[in-house]
Amino acid sequence: MRNLLWSGFLIMLVLSGCGWDGTPTRLNDFTKLTSLEIVATSPTIAALTSTKLTVKGNFSGIFTRDITSQVTWSTADLTIASFTNTAIPNAVTGHKPGNVVLTATVGNISNTFTLTVSNATVTALAITPANPSVPKGLTQQFAVTGTFSDASTQDVTLNATWASTDTTVATVSDAAGSKGLAQSLAIGSTQISATFGGISNTASLTVTAPVLQSIAVSTTTPSLLSLTSGTFQASGVYSDGTSVDVTSQVAWSSGNTSIATITTTGTATALSEGTTSISATYGGVTGSANLKVTGGHLTKITTSPATLTLVKGTNSALTATGTFSNNTARDITGLVSWSVANTGIATVTSPSGNLVWLKASSATTGTTTVTASYNTLSSTTSLTVTDPGLTSIAISLGTLDLTVGTTARLSVIATFNDGTTQDVTANCAWTTSDTTIAAVDNTQDSATIGRVSGVAAGSATITATYGGLNITSLVTVKTRTVQSLTINAVFGTTVATGGQLQMRATATYTDSANQDVTEDATWSIDTPSVAILTTSPYQTGLAVQPKLVMGVGTGTATLSATFGGKTQTTTITVQ
Amino acid sequence: MKRTCQILIALCLPLLFCGQAKAQHSGPYVGAFFGGNALMSAKSTDSLGNFGLTYKPGLQGSAVIGWDFEPGNPVGEGRIELEYTRRSNQLDRVKFADGSFVGGGTMTADSLLVNFYGVFHDNRRWAPYVGLGLGAARMEASDMIVTGEPLASGTNVVFAYQFGTGIDYALTKHWSIDLGYRFFGSTRPEFTEANGKKFKMDYYSHNAVLGLRFGF
Repeated sequence: MRNLLWSGFLIMLVLSGCGWDGTPTRLNDFTKLTSLEIVATSPTIAALTSTKLTVKGNFSGIFTRDITSQVTWSTADLTIASFTNTAIPNAVTGHKPGNVVLTATVGNISNTFTLTVSNATVTALAITPANPSVPKGLTQQFAVTGTFSDASTQDVTLNATWASTDTTVATVSDAAGSKGLAQSLAIGSTQISATFGGISNTASLTVTAPVLQSIAVSTTTPSLLSLTSGTFQASGVYSDGTSVDVTSQVAWSSGNTSIATITTTGTATALSEGTTSISATYGGVTGSANLKVTGGHLTKITTSPATLTLVKGTNSALTATGTFSNNTARDITGLVSWSVANTGIATVTSPSGNLVWLKASSATTGTTTVTASYNTLSSTTSLTVTDPGLTSIAISLGTLDLTVGTTARLSVIATFNDGTTQDVTANCAWTTSDTTIAAVDNTQDSATIGRVSGVAAGSATITATYGGLNITSLVTVKTRTVQSLTINAVFGTTVATGGQLQMRATATYTDSANQDVTEDATWSIDTPSVAILTTSPYQTGLAVQPKLVMGVGTGTATLSATFGGKTQTTTITVQ
Repeated sequence: MKRTCQILIALCLPLLFCGQAKAQHSGPYVGAFFGGNALMSAKSTDSLGNFGLTYKPGLQGSAVIGWDFEPGNPVGEGRIELEYTRRSNQLDRVKFADGSFVGGGTMTADSLLVNFYGVFHDNRRWAPYVGLGLGAARMEASDMIVTGEPLASGTNVVFAYQFGTGIDYALTKHWSIDLGYRFFGSTRPEFTEANGKKFKMDYYSHNAVLGLRFGF
């Protein structure tokens, strides 16, 4: 029992030492000041010169501290020496030869110092440093030492008159509190002079090119969803106050490469949730900024469709959806690597962003596998290429009503003699009968092929040609005035970090007509650290593709859509 | 009210970890504890900056009155009690930017807490427990000095809390001894320095206690 008690006591003794081990910043003003000690560079100064006195306080014999700044100074004879420099209260100036008692007082503690003022006169001056160089924007402190008739030397910086011959290159202060301090202004040279007691001397000051003093690292995307990328910029701040973009010159690095990596050009790729420091180093100077990665880390990839049958020579869009460790899923089509096992049967192209086309060979049928991979994760789509005979084609809209300045997509479905049907929109040749009324996108491999634009009021015929067959849609374009704009949140306005929302914008015109203008409106979000806008992955058969909003970090953001002079907003909440 | 209910529910959570009881006391009880406490080095802050206060280990004494829950209670196995404790520590040293200096004086904490303990009963006489308590403490800085000069004094009532664990040993159906550890903390009490300035300090302590309980 005794051992147990002693053990417990010793353990508590150790534990009582635990706790705050920081560095104190407060001075001890509880222990009484009991004496002062005055220290002077020299007890003797020449008349018309100055010297600084310092005071060390002794606190009850326990510790000492410089308390010069707290001292009140006095002199027994103002005609011999006095404290006249209000900028430097502890500088005493000798006026005429003699001895004088100087007193330093703090509270009710005081001490004295006997100063001797001699009748020596200055015979020479020496300025230090002699010929310095300083980068533009920085300062250089000069000092001047006098040699006197009694062979003594003394610092007379505080008593000399200072000047610069070329004040456009550098100025030198002659003010009481900063005598001899030169400020560099422009590249070049100037002579710095000091004059005392009728004696002068000069030193040459050379101002060189400004030097890099700090690097400011910035980004418009301080929060990134995992697997997405953002760019960082580096700005070098120089000694003359100028800033220079050094983004392409710095060496970029990420503090934690499992959270994010960064390229030599400053593009960061977010990998898994967490915060890392992005640093930029140049010329021995380093700056940094934090990057926060949200949305968990990738745990699974799912390609869509899982199985696919394509007719020879046709295309299909592929998508990849990522499942993340925070139980969210989002499109990562443009972020994974795509490959085809047998490129003789099909190939994969990625014209832009998150659009991926799987193109079946026009010469060969057969089966192969398409793989989407990211690091060690992958998913596959099985592809079968067939060669049935074309029976007929059908267009999604036989008539289309458009407003000037708006768009809508047409799609074409082909029917084959084996009973199958397939969307062949991307493989049609699209033409318009009148480009001044309605235009149609015929760009192969683009995400907008088959999209019709209303140019001017009137009617035009849009023709799609596939496999020798033609199909048409009559487009009527009208001039309308927007009365109101509505934002429709397809699945609500609240989303988890890393999740995505579909948004649509509907215009109501003064003639009571409504139109989905999602692809024609201008969208924006005010807080990219909370939510960002992204392009929806290509969805076949839709007349208008939705707008995607992705949650990046918790908080709220305002989503705006503008069309036809009207603006509508809605609040997006990310949890 | 909703917030109060949430706090009370959280305090009872330890009881969920406990199982069915064998023969044991249920009903009211009283108890007395004594022990030692190690008050951790405290960061103190006033308008002039931060400084550190280091204390010597001290003694403490407690009186409790509570209720042992009956076996098979749907809330869980354990007890709820009202505890009064007095802790006292001598100031050992004061650390300023100028260095570390000899201190003196006393820091005393009189606390009143409501404790919730979950007890892990089985067929044995001894049973471990874990729990936490909430309440208030009156902190008193008495004649605190540094290098023989007045440092601070005053009293302050603050919010207090503690986490506890230990072992009950049933001597008889009514008497039991309790060997336990407590971590006690509070919000920062504020005192007045000899120069009239106010300062706040951390208060965290490790405590070892030995007690005797009697159940009616």
